[in-house]
Amino acid sequence: MSEKPKIALYWCASCGGCEEAVLDLAEKVLDLVNAVDIVFWPVAVDFKIEDVEKLPDKSITASLINGGIRLTEHEKVVKLLRQKSQYVIAYGACSAWGGIPGLANLYKREELLSRAYFEVPTVVNEEKVLPRTYKDEELGIEVEVPEVLPRLLPLDRVIEVDYYVPGCPPTPDVTWNAIQALLSGNLPPKGSVIGASSKALCDECPLNETKPDKLLIKEFKRITEFTPDPEKCLLAQGLPCLGPVTRGGCGALCIKANMPCTGCFGMLDNVSDYGAKALSFLASILDVEDEKEVERQVKEKIADLVGRLYRYTLPSSKLGGKVFKR
Amino acid sequence: MSEEIRIGVYVCHCGLNIAGVVNVKEVVEYAKTLPNVVVAKDYVFMCSAPGQAMIKEDIKEHKLNRVVVAACSPAMHEPTFRGVLGDAGLNPYLFEMANIREHCSWVHPDDKEAATEKAKELVRMAVAKARLLEPLEKIKSAVRPAVLVIGGGVAGLRATLDLVERGFDVYLVEKRSVLGGNAVKLGELAYTTLTGKDVVNSLVEKIKANPKAHIFLNSEVEKVDGSIGDFRVTVTRRLGEGKEEKIELNVGAIIVAIGYDPYEPAIGEYGYKTTDKVVTLFQLMDILSEEGPTKGELLIGGIRPKSLAFILCVGSLSTTPNAKPYCSRMCCSASLKTILKIKEKYPDIDVYVFYKDMRTYGKEEDLYWKAIENEVKFIRFDEAPSVKPRDKFVEVEAFDTTIQERIAIPVDAVVLANGMVPATDTEKIRIMLKIGCGADGFLKEAHLKLRPVEALTDGIFLAGVATGPKNIIESIASGSAAAAKAATIVTKEEIEVEPLIARVNEDMCSGCGICAALCPYEAITIEVKEDGKRISKVNSMLCKGCGTCAAACPSGAMQQSGFKDNQVMAQVVATFRGE
Repeated sequence: MSEKPKIALYWCASCGGCEEAVLDLAEKVLDLVNAVDIVFWPVAVDFKIEDVEKLPDKSITASLINGGIRLTEHEKVVKLLRQKSQYVIAYGACSAWGGIPGLANLYKREELLSRAYFEVPTVVNEEKVLPRTYKDEELGIEVEVPEVLPRLLPLDRVIEVDYYVPGCPPTPDVTWNAIQALLSGNLPPKGSVIGASSKALCDECPLNETKPDKLLIKEFKRITEFTPDPEKCLLAQGLPCLGPVTRGGCGALCIKANMPCTGCFGMLDNVSDYGAKALSFLASILDVEDEKEVERQVKEKIADLVGRLYRYTLPSSKLGGKVFKR
Repeated sequence: MSEEIRIGVYVCHCGLNIAGVVNVKEVVEYAKTLPNVVVAKDYVFMCSAPGQAMIKEDIKEHKLNRVVVAACSPAMHEPTFRGVLGDAGLNPYLFEMANIREHCSWVHPDDKEAATEKAKELVRMAVAKARLLEPLEKIKSAVRPAVLVIGGGVAGLRATLDLVERGFDVYLVEKRSVLGGNAVKLGELAYTTLTGKDVVNSLVEKIKANPKAHIFLNSEVEKVDGSIGDFRVTVTRRLGEGKEEKIELNVGAIIVAIGYDPYEPAIGEYGYKTTDKVVTLFQLMDILSEEGPTKGELLIGGIRPKSLAFILCVGSLSTTPNAKPYCSRMCCSASLKTILKIKEKYPDIDVYVFYKDMRTYGKEEDLYWKAIENEVKFIRFDEAPSVKPRDKFVEVEAFDTTIQERIAIPVDAVVLANGMVPATDTEKIRIMLKIGCGADGFLKEAHLKLRPVEALTDGIFLAGVATGPKNIIESIASGSAAAAKAATIVTKEEIEVEPLIARVNEDMCSGCGICAALCPYEAITIEVKEDGKRISKVNSMLCKGCGTCAAACPSGAMQQSGFKDNQVMAQVVATFRGE
């Protein structure tokens, strides 16, 4: 009997949604479990790091890693998985480009720690204790607490990544497509996105045909201001829908719920900085003469420019986050 | 699979223009250290024959497949060096230029060390881009050997005649029922005894005798599609009784000669239309015409005036709030020529000319001296004169800047030398043909000195007053110029355009349509494919390679050949990171 391919799943700085996304495969999870041996999956299966360490190098067919690299522990584990795996897959937006936790790169590490451990209203920490490695006198052992890295990093800034699966989280279809591609060995060049489309969301959006041939907007609107016509392109209605700059493959789920695309499938192959491209196209179609009017609309209608345009990709951007004076 | 990149770098001294500031030897030595650079040299004038020969030899000897020249502006010598690559059997677009003259030595003459460092950085950037350059081929397209001329004034007529005489079919579209435009209204012209009408008739006779000329009167251009070499034009001809017919034409080039409208003074501006004793210069020329209402007799408001005041710059030189800021160029000379004709026929008439600037420029200065010899009185004003109609006369009052005194002169009639304004159809034509216009509302040439009579859109030429005030001589000359330029296109069987344009990667395009809205040349359309999917299409003949669409394309599907995202990004990275 030939051995089944080995699969590892691991999470770094993520909300856990990507773990759920794997379970969202529903009955297909059983197909998956039949087809592979899961050798590591902390959230669901009781294997330890030591078990992985014992495996021969490259013996895991694929490691699906979700979440961004925030802690020294994440660094350590993903490096181990890299060593043991043939393919490393950045699974989900956080792993691929930093994701929502990556917005923390707008702050210094000290600011983050201070906020989380001292300032949050629900925290009582009069002694101002911060997480740190310490010696437990009673047990007589050193308790190792991982350190917070200065910045959250996408997976490929720490180890080599073979393929990317986009989404926050990846949809069941995208996940299944990616798994099938991996198991069949029918893979595109290294570094590609698998499981999703090679075109922007507009290509599969049911509203694309309602788009005017020339798309110019006088005023951006916020989704809280009106109920958009569900039969008309949301961008044409003034909502800064990010469909044109976002990879397709999700099936236009948000659009079908009458909500504009927020960009969780990230950029396309030819684009290196999602937010810059998003800003470039939105600014281009804003049909106003006065520069002050642009400023007003950005402030009032886009509101949180970085949070909106770099919502999923800030750590992978050219700047990687806010740049502080040394 | 992919060939090894072998780059040659050539650093030009440009005499002392570059070498006087930049240490070129140091730049050469630096270039040699850059990855993929197999040869680097300097020379006193890289654009000279020996400089070019050096590059050609190196391409063969060192098997170069990319060339970087660090010298002057690409606007100057990029075509030269592309030609060198072509001669050496290399695709001309595998060439990159670093401008170390305008961008370096000329602007940093005081800091030689920093200038040398900057030259190195510019070379590093050029090399980084050169590595990623791709061969490109010029784009070819068939040419229809026919020309559309819009407007049958003197400029359009001259252009038509020149082209039919060269054997091309010309479709001349005139919206009025007669040819000749404003020129037929002009009386005797300067330097000649011919009238405007005589000139028009001479042109029209020759045109009508030529079977290549196809004249459409009472007709207007309705729609223009296509691009240089192959424009598809729809003309609507009014047939009377409210009937119309549509005519489809196919031409290789278009000449726009839509002329101008005479400036129409506002009611009350210089007393206009408040008395029949105030007329415009055009009305006066009509009165003086043998075929005019008085059969050539000078009668204004029913009387034969004994004294006349001409007010110049009406509607020009910002003399009144309604007036345009520009000089209308023909009114000074036309007024003086008319005055001399009147003086010849009615020597007893006193003529006063109120002027702001006397612009009988060039040889027409002669008219001014003749007028003085004929005792025409010239009164210079800064502020527009006021015209007050009285019972039996009209009083013209002005501050005479020469004698520094306010004067009032009673005259029998006043003539307003009205200038030119863009023809009413100018805006419509501008939009239809996607050509530019200036703040003054006249159509705009691509470059007044480098690309005269060419519109911003290829294959379209501009003649006559459509681009701004001209006298009749200049108008006719520009008609001939436009014909000559149009002929350079329609004489060819096919035309070639630069391949440095935008291209869509259809496998990446989602048909979001951002590009189509932004293209200033209307070169992009969104096509709906059989499966209902939308996709962007670039008309390579219309695309000017401005890069707007490529910068805005949210999916990176639109790329600008020669300036692709990866090529530009490589330059940016090389700037900051070094190698």
